[in-house]
Amino acid sequence: MGLPDSCQDLSTEMEVDAFRRLFPLRFFERHLSESLRPDGRPLGKARDTNVNLGLVSSADGSALAKIGSTTMLAAIRMEVMTPSTDSPDEGCIAVEFHMPPICSPTVRPGRPADEAPVISKRLSDVISSCDMIDLKELCLVSGKAAWMGYLDIYCLDADGALFDAALLSAVAAFSNLQIPVVALNDNGRIVAINGDGEQENNASITEKEAVNKEKRKLTLKNIPFSLTCILHKKYILADPTAEEESIMDTLVTVVLDSSDQIVNFNKSGGSALVGSSAIKSCVELARKRGKELKQILGDMDID
Amino acid sequence: MEYVNPEGLRLDGRRFNEMRQIVAEVGVVSKADGSAVFEMGNTKVIAAVYGPREIQNKSQQKNGHALVLCEYSMAHFSTGDRRRQKNDRRSTELSLVIRQTMEACIATELLPHSQIDIFLQVLQADGGTRSACINAATLALADAGIPMRDLAVSCSAGYLNSTPLLDLNYVEDSAGGADVTVGILPKLDKVTLLQMDAKLPMETFETVFALASEGCKAIAERVREVLQENTKQLEYRRAA
Repeated sequence: MGLPDSCQDLSTEMEVDAFRRLFPLRFFERHLSESLRPDGRPLGKARDTNVNLGLVSSADGSALAKIGSTTMLAAIRMEVMTPSTDSPDEGCIAVEFHMPPICSPTVRPGRPADEAPVISKRLSDVISSCDMIDLKELCLVSGKAAWMGYLDIYCLDADGALFDAALLSAVAAFSNLQIPVVALNDNGRIVAINGDGEQENNASITEKEAVNKEKRKLTLKNIPFSLTCILHKKYILADPTAEEESIMDTLVTVVLDSSDQIVNFNKSGGSALVGSSAIKSCVELARKRGKELKQILGDMDID
Repeated sequence: MEYVNPEGLRLDGRRFNEMRQIVAEVGVVSKADGSAVFEMGNTKVIAAVYGPREIQNKSQQKNGHALVLCEYSMAHFSTGDRRRQKNDRRSTELSLVIRQTMEACIATELLPHSQIDIFLQVLQADGGTRSACINAATLALADAGIPMRDLAVSCSAGYLNSTPLLDLNYVEDSAGGADVTVGILPKLDKVTLLQMDAKLPMETFETVFALASEGCKAIAERVREVLQENTKQLEYRRAA
């Protein structure tokens, strides 16, 4: 075909930016053949990751996670509810992922982004299936009262690898969570106690001690870590940016827990078909990434 | 309830004409054409501007002027009680109010056949969210390089315990006294937004309005500083 050759000639004269816009795939492949990506990262390396805790003072636990430019803000609010009859000793966690229009030029107001409900469901599944949280710890009075935790994750900047950043922010928010102190008042209802203990029914508080005074933080076992990779021809790129995700469509997400067991593996279609060796490489990259993330969370004193 | 104690201090220790602490930063959302974070005390708002870009809905096109769209939404964890419906009436009203305020100061005749989207996300609400949103939107529009006639800045003021108070927080706002929100274009010295609820006698209203306008001028200074600092940074980076 004559066309690719003439493109080849044009490309040597064209500005880099124009080439990047007009022939994105070629631009990336030129880099991949040198085992590099346009931002200078080697293929298996993830972007700089940062986690900050406790930014939202109106929430019971919150965290901001940044992977490169992708920014996620997670916050948890606890409310008291009656547990269901088939699990009277367990509380409940509701996970919701939002992509407000600020995060990306492709999200329209009034029309939720395509990825948002998908990521929401996957996050919910991963958090419940990896047993990070023992729901029995959320019980207050067996059969009568338990905690319902509403975890809301907002994407503030969508630059690829949304699931990874969302999961990281969710885990960090749980570690930052301080369960409010409550007590049982005369009517058998749970009331919150303010920090200075000021309350109308002071008498009832002195009689019945705060129901959960000792247990204020959740124990997190089996913390999940995830890594999203792009498969393209024979290359595997870890932690894609939004630009890379838009050009190469095969995404693979691997979620491992702290004992390096696979909690969740997801490949939803895409033009690259994957053999078992590629799967093993993805899992290996996820393992390395898990170590990095453990290091980052460990530096902030999270178990 | 006493909102201003006999020494003249409010619940959070401020005097009647003191604003809360302002933290403002530009360029926080990498994907947006312009973005800003604006904090007034505990109220935190992120604004992102996408535009000018192609009009999505040709039927809304205005002749010879850019189309300005605005959406205001609050995060579920932003207020004390979690239940926050997406399209509740307050969010719709605020979206309209902020859109009209910003539209007045954007030079829309310079950008025909295009659309400018302003998105506002409230992360924490502690009173004065509409003012914080307008201020954040102004910074974001400036960051996006959209031509404006002036900086739109906004501040609120109220009247409790017979004292005009500047920049009400949530507790003072829900006290049942008057709440006057003012938006002005400082250089042109024109009022673009004026909203009040509850009753006030005329002279008191004028005092409260004057106090809010002073607050707006102080915010305008701050906004200008932030933008100048940002421009200096861009200059260093370009020269480097």
